[in-house]
Amino acid sequence: MDFIRRFLSYCIFFTFFLCVRCDEFKEELFFKPLPSTHLYSYFQFVTLVDSEVSSFHSQLAPRSLAEVVSRFQVEELHLTLTEGQWRHHQWGYPVLDAAPGAELYAWFSPDVTDVDTQWKKLSATLSGLFCASLNFIDSFNTVTPQMALWPMGAVKSSQNVTSQLRYASLPREIVCTENLTPWKKLLPCESSRGFSALLNSRMIHNTNYHSVGVHVRKVCKSSDCLETQLEFKQTVALIYDYEIIKSNDWSFRKLFGQGLPGACPLSTDSKIYVDVTSNSTQPFTLSPPPDNIILSQRGRTDTKLAVYNIHPDGKMINIGVKHKTKSQIPVSIHPPLFFNRYVLGYGKEFGGIVTEITNNCLAPINVVVLENAPWWLPIQLSTLRVNGEAESKLVQSQYYSPGRSRQKPYHLELLIKLPPKSTTTITIDFEFVFLKWQEYPPDANHGFYIGSALISANLPTARNYTSLPITGTTFDSVINDTKLWYPIVFRTNGAMVSLPTPDFSMPYNVICLACTVVALAFGPLHNICTKELVLKPSGTSLSLTQKLLNLFKKKKD
Amino acid sequence: MGVILKYVVAGLLRYWLINLDYWQTIANRVEIATPLNSWKRLIEGVYLYDHNINPYEGDSFHESPIMLVFFYYIMKKVPFILPVLFTLLDLLTAHLLYKTSKAFIRILKESQEKQLAEVADESKPMLLDDAQLKESAEYVLSVYLFNPYSVLNCAGMTTTVIQNLLVATALWGASSGQRIVACVFIALATHQALYPVLLIVPIALILAEVNKGCTKCSYIRTLLVFVLSWGFLIYLSAYIMDGSYKYVYNTYGFILTVPDLKPNIGLFWYFFTEMFEHFRVLFVCAFQINALALYVVPLTLRFKKDPILLATVLIALSSIFRSYPCVGDVGFYLALLPMWKHLFTFMQQKFIVGCTFIITSALGPTVWHLWIYSGSANANFFFGVTLSFATAQIFLITDLLFAYIKREFTLKKGSSRQVDGKPAKLVLR
Repeated sequence: MDFIRRFLSYCIFFTFFLCVRCDEFKEELFFKPLPSTHLYSYFQFVTLVDSEVSSFHSQLAPRSLAEVVSRFQVEELHLTLTEGQWRHHQWGYPVLDAAPGAELYAWFSPDVTDVDTQWKKLSATLSGLFCASLNFIDSFNTVTPQMALWPMGAVKSSQNVTSQLRYASLPREIVCTENLTPWKKLLPCESSRGFSALLNSRMIHNTNYHSVGVHVRKVCKSSDCLETQLEFKQTVALIYDYEIIKSNDWSFRKLFGQGLPGACPLSTDSKIYVDVTSNSTQPFTLSPPPDNIILSQRGRTDTKLAVYNIHPDGKMINIGVKHKTKSQIPVSIHPPLFFNRYVLGYGKEFGGIVTEITNNCLAPINVVVLENAPWWLPIQLSTLRVNGEAESKLVQSQYYSPGRSRQKPYHLELLIKLPPKSTTTITIDFEFVFLKWQEYPPDANHGFYIGSALISANLPTARNYTSLPITGTTFDSVINDTKLWYPIVFRTNGAMVSLPTPDFSMPYNVICLACTVVALAFGPLHNICTKELVLKPSGTSLSLTQKLLNLFKKKKD
Repeated sequence: MGVILKYVVAGLLRYWLINLDYWQTIANRVEIATPLNSWKRLIEGVYLYDHNINPYEGDSFHESPIMLVFFYYIMKKVPFILPVLFTLLDLLTAHLLYKTSKAFIRILKESQEKQLAEVADESKPMLLDDAQLKESAEYVLSVYLFNPYSVLNCAGMTTTVIQNLLVATALWGASSGQRIVACVFIALATHQALYPVLLIVPIALILAEVNKGCTKCSYIRTLLVFVLSWGFLIYLSAYIMDGSYKYVYNTYGFILTVPDLKPNIGLFWYFFTEMFEHFRVLFVCAFQINALALYVVPLTLRFKKDPILLATVLIALSSIFRSYPCVGDVGFYLALLPMWKHLFTFMQQKFIVGCTFIITSALGPTVWHLWIYSGSANANFFFGVTLSFATAQIFLITDLLFAYIKREFTLKKGSSRQVDGKPAKLVLR
C-alpha cells in the first residue's frame, strides 16, 4: 500500500516535472527610441512546446492555435495584422516586419498534397479565431513565393519547401480591438497579469503604427536537432510619437495608461530591454534603474541594452525615461538598405508601379523583390525596366507567373544584385481593369489598395538591425551575435489606385438601352426576311389626328 | 496610274502615322485596340513566349498560337520590318478587295443578265452599265485606302489588319472560284477571331455560283474543306503549344465569355458591367447567338440569289455585334459598301447615318477623355456614344437591305407608285 502510494506520488511528481520541462513560457518587452521623436516598443510572448508530445496536453500553449496547426498540418505559420506604415528609411528596421493590413503565410507539412484546399481551410479558421477578414483569402490573392521567403524554423534539408508555401496579404484589412481581444486570450495569463496587461486597446490603437502577430515554427531542442519543439510566438510592435504623448520623456503610465503589475506567474523568464545606446548623445536617466546594462557587439555595431528582470510579485512597476535636456532631435543614420514604392501615371487607363531600392553599403547586396499585383491590376512583363533597361545585368534570376482575371494574381520575383552606394529603380506598367459593378467594394471611389512588395535580403552589416537570429527565440540571443549575413524580409509601403467606375445607379437603364439597340437590328431584319414588299394605296392625305387614330386601327387588322 | 498613286499615298500615310511620335496614343486608343487585337498584348505574348512562359497561362494574350509564332519569328529575326509589314499587309488587303469587287461586279452583271426577262420595260434604264460597275471597284479601293477607320487601324498596328487581310483573301478566293484558298483563309480568320465563321455560308454560295455545275456537291465540298482546314489549324495550334488545348480558353473562350470589360465601340462592355450576376450566362448566350447564329439562316434564305450582299451584310452585322469590335472591323465593311452604289438612291437614312458617324467619331474620344482623364464625365457618356454609333451602323445595314428589296421591286414592277391610278406607297406585309 505504502509502495503504491509512493509510486503514485512519484508518478505525479514526474509528470509535473516532465510538463514543466516540456512547456516554457517567456515574455519580453523591448524599447528603442527611434530617430525624430518616435519610440518603438516590441512585446514578445514565446511558448515552447514539445512537438513530439501532442500539443493538446500542453498547459501553456494556446490550445485553439495548436489544434489549427496540427489539424492543417502546418509546419510554420506567420500572421500579422498591421495598421500604419513602418518607415524603414527613418526608423531603421523592426524586429519583425509586417505588411500593412493582414498578412498570412504558412508552410504545410510535406504530407499535404492538396495545399490549396488546406490553405483555404486554414485561412478560414484563422479568420474565425482572430475575427479578421482572412476568409477573403482565395486563389486570386494567393501566391507561392519562389525565392523571397524561407522557413524560419527547422526543416529537413531534403524537403521541398517552396511548393508547400502560400502567401497572401489583405492590404485593406483594418486592425482593431476585436482582433486584439482574441489574440490576448491565446496567452497563458491572458490580459490579467504579465506584460499583456499593458496592452490596453484604448492606448495602443492610438499609436502611429501597431502590428499584432502570431508566429508558429519548429525549433531545434538541442544543437544536434534530433528533436524539435514547437514555438508559438505572439508579438506586438508599437510606434509611439512623442508629439502625441507631448514630451520625449516617456513612462509606462504615459504609454499604456497604467503600470506593469508584475510578471505573469506562469512565465519562466520576464525581461524588459531598453536600448540605451542613444544615451551617449542624448543623455537620459532610467527610473527605476535597470538591473544591469549589457554591451552587445553585433557585427561592428555596438548596442547598449538596459535589462530589467521582472518578478511575479504583483508589485506595480512604472519604468520611465527622463531626458536631461529638452527636445533634441536625433540625427537618423540611414540604414544599409531602404526603399520606396509609388504609382506612376495619370488618368485611369494606364499606369506603372515603381520600386526604388537604395543600397547604402559599400558592398553589393543581393535582394529578392517580390511584386504581387492583384488580378485587377494586370502588369505587363514586357514593360519591366530595371534602371530604365529592358535586359538589365543586375537581374540575376527572374520568376513570373502571369495572373488571370478573378483567378490568380500577377506574381513577379526578381533576384537583383544591388551595386554598392546606388539606387536601383524597378518599373513595370499596368493597365486599369474595368470591373463588374458588383465587384467594386462599398465606396468604390475610395480607391483600391495594392499590397506591398516583399524585399528579402541578406545584409552584410548589422546597422539598424534588431531582428533575432534565426536560431534564437529570446532577446538574449541578440547579444554578441556576429554573423556573416543578417537575413531580413522587408515589406515596402503599399499603394493605392483609383479604378474607373461605372455608374452604379443604372443597371436597369443600361440593360434596357443595350437590348433596345439589339432589337433595332432584329426588328427590321425580321421584317425583311419574313415579309414582302407590296404597293398599298395611301389615299388622300390625312390630318394628324386621323393618322394617330389609324395607328391604333392598324393593330386591329 | 491613278490607282498606283492611291496605293503610294495611302502607304506613305500609314507608314508616316506608324512612325509618328503619337503612335503610342493611336495604338492605345480604346476605339482602335481591344484586348483581343492590341499591339501591346501581342508584344506581351511574344515576350512571355520568348521567356519560356506560356502566354496562355495568364490573361494578357488572346491571339491564336499561329499568330504568336508568326510574330515571334518576325520580332526575333527582323523587328525593324514591322511598320513596313503592317503597311504592306493593309495595302494588300486593299488590293485584294479591289480585285474581289471587280470579280463581284462581274458576277452581279451576269446575274443581272440572267434576270433580264423579269425586268419591267420602264425600269430598263436602271440596269447597271459597265462604266458604273467599273467605277464602284475604284470606290471600294479608295474607301479602304483612305477611310480614317482603316487608316487608324493600320497605324495602331492591331492584329485586325491581319484579320482583314485573311477575310479579304477568302472573299477574293471565293470570287475567283478558288475553293481551297477561300476555305483555308476563312478558316484562318475563324481561328483568329471566331466570328468570320459566318462567312462560310456566303462563300459556299459564291463558290457554287462561280464554279457552276452541281450546287449541292459544291456546298458539301466547301464545307468539308473548311471544316478540315479549321480542324487542322486548331490541331496545329495545339501542336505549337506542345499538345495543350488550353489556349482555346484564352482565344475562343475569351471571345465568347467576355471576361474583360474594357470599353470599346461595341455593345457588350457596359451591358455586362452592369449585368446582374445570375442573368449573366443567359445574356452572354443571347448576345453571342445574336452575333453568331441568329441572322445567318433567315438572311441566307432571303438573299441566296445574291450571296455577295449576304456576305456584306453578315460581315457588317458580325462587326457590330461581336464582343470586342474595333474601328478596323467597321472600316472593312464600309469599304465593301461602294459595291452597292446603285442602291444608294433607294436609301433613306444616308444623311442621318453619315451625321451620326461623324458626330460619334468626334464625340467618342472627347467623352473618353472627360471620363478617364479629367474625371468630369462618367461611364454613361461614353456608353451613350457607343450606343449611338452602333445604332447608326444598324440603320446603315437595315437601310441597305431595304434599298435592295425596293430596287428589286422597282425593277420588276416599274417605278410608278400607283395602284389603279391612285397614289400608293411601298409597305412590307
